[in-house]
Amino acid sequence: MPNIRVLRDVKARHGVQANEIARRAYLYVARNQSLPPQVRHQAQLQLNTFGRYTRPTTVKNRCSETGRGRGIMSEFSLCRFQFRLKALRGELNGVHKASW
Amino acid sequence: MAAVIPSRITALTKLRCSIFGTSYNPTGLRTGAKYLRARLRGPSMVKYYPPVINIAQLARKYPELELVDEVEEQRWQDVEDRKKRGKGAPKKAKSKADSRRVARKR
Repeated sequence: MPNIRVLRDVKARHGVQANEIARRAYLYVARNQSLPPQVRHQAQLQLNTFGRYTRPTTVKNRCSETGRGRGIMSEFSLCRFQFRLKALRGELNGVHKASW
Repeated sequence: MAAVIPSRITALTKLRCSIFGTSYNPTGLRTGAKYLRARLRGPSMVKYYPPVINIAQLARKYPELELVDEVEEQRWQDVEDRKKRGKGAPKKAKSKADSRRVARKR
C-alpha cells in the first residue's frame, strides 16, 4: 500500500492531467504581450484560482516501493536502494551489476 | 559595396517569413505560443506509478466475492487488542469542562 506522500503525489498527477488544457489556455493569454493588459491580468487572476494540485511543479517523482523522495531513478521509479535490491534479484530487465 | 536600405531588409524578412511559414515578429514580442506548442505532460505523469490493486475498493464494488483485506483485518485486530489492555482512544469530551480536565491531566 503506498504511503500518504505517494497518494498525494498521485492526486497531484491526476489534477495536473485534468486541468492541463485550461491552464495552458490561460497561460497563453496571460503571457501574450500583444493582448491588452486588462485581458492578460484577468487571465493571470484566473490562473491563480487553480488549486495547488493542478500545477505540474507540485508533482515529484517518488519511489514506487517505499515512497522515498530523494535518490530516485526515474526510469525505474525506484529509489537507489530499492533499485539495487531489485537489480540484484534480477527483477529489472537489462540491468546488470558492473564488474571488470 | 553599396549600403542596403533598411526598408528593403524588412521587406526581405517579411518575404522570408511568408515563404517558410513563420510569423513575422521583428521586435521579438512574446506571443505565448510556446505554451500552446509544448506537448501535454499530464498523460505521461499519470503513468509514473505502476497500478496498485485496492482490495477495499474491490470488496466494495463486488460484495458477492466476499474478499478479505488482510492488512485491514490485522489493523482492526491490533486496535481491539490495545483496547483490551486499556490502551484505546479516550472517550470524546461531552462538555467544555471535560476537555479541560483532559488537558490538565496531560
